[in-house]
Amino acid sequence: MDFPFVREAISQLFSKPSTAMYPVVPSEAADRYRGRIVYHPEKCINCGMCERVCSGNAITTVVEKTEEGDRITRTFNLGSCTFCATCMDFCHGAIEFSKDYHMVATKEEDLLVTGTHIKKPPVKKAVPPKPAAAPAAEAKAEEAPAAQIKPRDDGKPVQDASKCVYCTICARKCPAGALTVDRAAKTWTLDEDLCVGCGTCAESCPKKCIII
Amino acid sequence: MFKKLIEESTGKSPWLFHINAGSCNGCDIELVSVLTPRYDAERLGFKLAGSPRHADIVVVTGPVTNQSLPRVLRAISQVPEPRCIVTMGSCPQSGNVFRGSYSIAGPLSKYVHVDVDVAGCAPKPEAVIDGLALATQILQEKRREMK
Repeated sequence: MDFPFVREAISQLFSKPSTAMYPVVPSEAADRYRGRIVYHPEKCINCGMCERVCSGNAITTVVEKTEEGDRITRTFNLGSCTFCATCMDFCHGAIEFSKDYHMVATKEEDLLVTGTHIKKPPVKKAVPPKPAAAPAAEAKAEEAPAAQIKPRDDGKPVQDASKCVYCTICARKCPAGALTVDRAAKTWTLDEDLCVGCGTCAESCPKKCIII
Repeated sequence: MFKKLIEESTGKSPWLFHINAGSCNGCDIELVSVLTPRYDAERLGFKLAGSPRHADIVVVTGPVTNQSLPRVLRAISQVPEPRCIVTMGSCPQSGNVFRGSYSIAGPLSKYVHVDVDVAGCAPKPEAVIDGLALATQILQEKRREMK
């Protein structure tokens, strides 16, 4: 007589239960699990891209004017977060998703991740800035040494006037509103105080004429 | 002595009632996975009740839509005191990506007192077990206060 499943039944008797004994045995999340947000305010350049791309409106920013500069407090509400990590993709390393999944709270404040940093006002240079807003005639004159345009030390954009078509895309994409491009007058002006060096203009440039 | 026995044992078998208030089904699946043999919340005494009248803990998922709001409030009002309301996922706490929609009446805390928030989209089953354990503690405290 044939006994079906006998082998299976006996092997199950001596095997470990499949239940994860969670509260007793701690469990670690998988690699690249997107849990509690860790914010490094010292790395933040305050470009505001995280807040703009957040689908759940989980990120809020408060700017206070102080003597040392702008005091910027950024708050991540984990109770409104989708954990899509789009903010991290746009960020220059200031936002990180940890493996911590213990996001249990009795008060709403327990689910907030905040960080504060002070953005110092840019130091005014004695030498006037590079004539980035060169008129068209001058730009043509500079055509020959165009390949020699070097990126600046402070991470702010430089325009290659020989390639620029003055399409104004960079000015429209700039999250800080630091770029002014006049198509008719063929001028490209950078407001250095407003620029945060996020690189969005260089990414959006169709002619790749902005160097950062 | 008999009362003490009841008090101790009620903390060991809190029954859950699950309300879907317009959820995308992600949190619902995670809640069900908590009750499967893999995470087996029933070994901790949690049991899914079929009726709100049998429940101690109410688990709400979803951003509380206009259509579901009267049903949610009616179901919660049928849960006997002391009860503990747990929101699961980001939606009932804030509306999440649905915030500002014409069809959303949430967040849930506008209408009832929420005891425990479990954040995540969707929360990991371990986080749900943590949240339910915390809800059980709150439930015991409420029960003691009622006496």
